[in-house]
Amino acid sequence: MSVAVETGGKSGKKAVNADLNLVPYIDLLTCMVAFLLITAVWSQLARLEAHQKGQGQAGEETPPEKIVKLVVVVNGEGFNLVAGEDQQPIPKRGDQYDFEKLANELKKFKDAHPDKSDVQVASEDTIKFETLVKTMDTALTARFPDISLIDAGGAGI
Amino acid sequence: MPIHAPHDHLYSSVKLETAKAKLTHAGRKSLYAPLNLVAYIDMMTMLVIFLLMSFSATGEILFVQKNIVLPDAQNWTDLERAPVIGVSKDVVTLDGSQVATADDLMKDSATGDFKIPELHDKLVTLKNNYKLLHPGEDFNGIAIIQSDKNVEFKMLKKIMYSVAVAGYQNVNFAVTPRAKGGGPLIQ
Repeated sequence: MSVAVETGGKSGKKAVNADLNLVPYIDLLTCMVAFLLITAVWSQLARLEAHQKGQGQAGEETPPEKIVKLVVVVNGEGFNLVAGEDQQPIPKRGDQYDFEKLANELKKFKDAHPDKSDVQVASEDTIKFETLVKTMDTALTARFPDISLIDAGGAGI
Repeated sequence: MPIHAPHDHLYSSVKLETAKAKLTHAGRKSLYAPLNLVAYIDMMTMLVIFLLMSFSATGEILFVQKNIVLPDAQNWTDLERAPVIGVSKDVVTLDGSQVATADDLMKDSATGDFKIPELHDKLVTLKNNYKLLHPGEDFNGIAIIQSDKNVEFKMLKKIMYSVAVAGYQNVNFAVTPRAKGGGPLIQ
């Protein structure tokens, strides 16, 4: 189990041919393949972070008049973007939620309030988890890293 | 005429040296053949490189359950060790053991209390165990909800409420990571 390296020369000089011993190298490769196959993670999963407010947890210390509360309400008709006293409905396009328009509106709000980093996603009971994840993902893309998922009934809207 | 000792002789058409080689098996082809290992080593090297690229130091934290299809997301982070609450259309499990059924959660509670007692109690036990095993560390309050994408929020809010009451303030949702461009993630 070796490889000869031909370097030519058939004269009376001493031969410079050398045999590489590949046994340790093949052993190492075989062990590495076995180890990596055993420890391989075939399902790549990740997580989406959300926070929960309430249950006795203290709120932010900022005076309430300085806070502009941003809530994305998800209901059967689409989104309703609530920023303080203003409400902007974003209806569905056919059967699909209009995530593109929601992203644009959230970006506009972020440009107007660069310090704002939190958003609440308020959902109705019948909304599917996939829609909520997409909504939270859209909010994260619009640079709102602090996301809370709450019940629309408890949001007071 | 000198006398010669008798010796081997054959017909003139057959060379004597060739016949000797045949008789003594000296002319047989050698049984030792060199193996060409270049292709084998190339294949092994490529396999090792591929496996090293897909190697994850954290190991497998979440196992994909057969009846749970996860939603995908672009803004994801790596998983951490935390209690995993599996939510399918039929049952709710905590680290693999059933704690509630979907029928129970879809019913409206007469008292208006959303708490799932079994889930709450087990989570509190896990929290207390963590504090006992890690006395110098702060409890991070992370719980991972691994929910099917078609589960309704009505089920999820009861689970989230129970989780929050048990002292877990950071709820993470398991997702399938997607590349920023929108395509599937290749790692």
